Amino acid sequence: MFAGLKALFSRSNEPSATSSASKSVAKSRLHFVLVQDRTGLTNDEMAKFKKELVGVIQKYFMISEDGFDINYKRESDSTTLVINSPVKVRRIASKSGDDEAGKPQQDETELQSTAQPA
Amino acid sequence: MTNNSAGKKNVAEIIVVTSGKGGVGKTTTTASLGAALAVKGKRVLVVDADIGLRNLDVILGLESRIVFNLVDVAKNVCKPSQAVIKSKKSANLHLLPASQTDDKDVIGESEVKAVLDQFRREYHFILVDSPAGIEQGFKNACAGADSALIVTTPEVPAIRDADRVVGLLASRGIEARLIINRLDPDMVRRGDMLSVQDVQDILGIELIGVIERDESVIVAANCGEPVVYNAKSKAGQAFSRIAGRLCGENIPIPMVTAETFWERVGRRLGVA
Repeated sequence: MFAGLKALFSRSNEPSATSSASKSVAKSRLHFVLVQDRTGLTNDEMAKFKKELVGVIQKYFMISEDGFDINYKRESDSTTLVINSPVKVRRIASKSGDDEAGKPQQDETELQSTAQPA
Repeated sequence: MTNNSAGKKNVAEIIVVTSGKGGVGKTTTTASLGAALAVKGKRVLVVDADIGLRNLDVILGLESRIVFNLVDVAKNVCKPSQAVIKSKKSANLHLLPASQTDDKDVIGESEVKAVLDQFRREYHFILVDSPAGIEQGFKNACAGADSALIVTTPEVPAIRDADRVVGLLASRGIEARLIINRLDPDMVRRGDMLSVQDVQDILGIELIGVIERDESVIVAANCGEPVVYNAKSKAGQAFSRIAGRLCGENIPIPMVTAETFWERVGRRLGVA
């Protein structure tokens, strides 16, 4: 009788205290193993790739390596290499001319002005 | 679709049921969807492509009726119609069994395709139960398939293997839809099982149905009667909904929720 009642209450729907993280563990392990499977890179190759990538990005940006993440994502008709790199600040103070690099029209006029004296 | 509606002659849609990993419910899914489609009035052939380890016959309760099999048809030992077994429960549901004594590489992809083509005009759906793995047996099962159903459970090894299979199917130009099997809503709520959304996000293919973990699936398998004939079974109902979606019906996938306290009381006391 008591055993039955105990069984009734035992599988409560409350999040379990002991293993509440097991789903997130599964997710991160899957993430790791799928990136390897999908890219076909070995452990060492992936570590090397990551190290080189971080090196390149660090030439231009201050980044936090903690949040650095490589993902190989499959969508319905294509596969994308997604690289997440949280940037703290631009590493090298830019020269005045570089600031307008993102604006194509101004860029053009500047190019013309530099071309004229030559 | 246009083929079916335009001409009088019907052309079956061939769907391979596969997973990569073994033991996730491919055969149960093939039998259940076949039975559910037959209930809806569709003419269905279920094909056991697991040569050497056949089981679709026992799930359907037809093991005692096998005379000829898929390999016999491929090798012209018998006529296609001689190998096909009618289900006890439904005149619409037929089984083409696998050979139990041969190896998986006794036939090749072109032979399987040729066999399926011979049946194509007699059915609305041909469901092919693939063996586990990604070797010859899997390749044979995919030969001639118009689309695929990927069965997975919400567990790391099953999802990993499913992902591999999705990639292989994509390289063959076969569109794959996802069935998540044996989901335990209580465990999902406790944070101890990947959710439907998690699995969908990881695999990135269209979801066509979710089957909750359900004891009645094992009971049905014990008796050799597909679980869809048990109207009370949650799994049976879920398979029937997937069958509807395969027929193009717009049936939303219900949110899977953990059972309430009173539902649990009812189940433990044997009321529900």
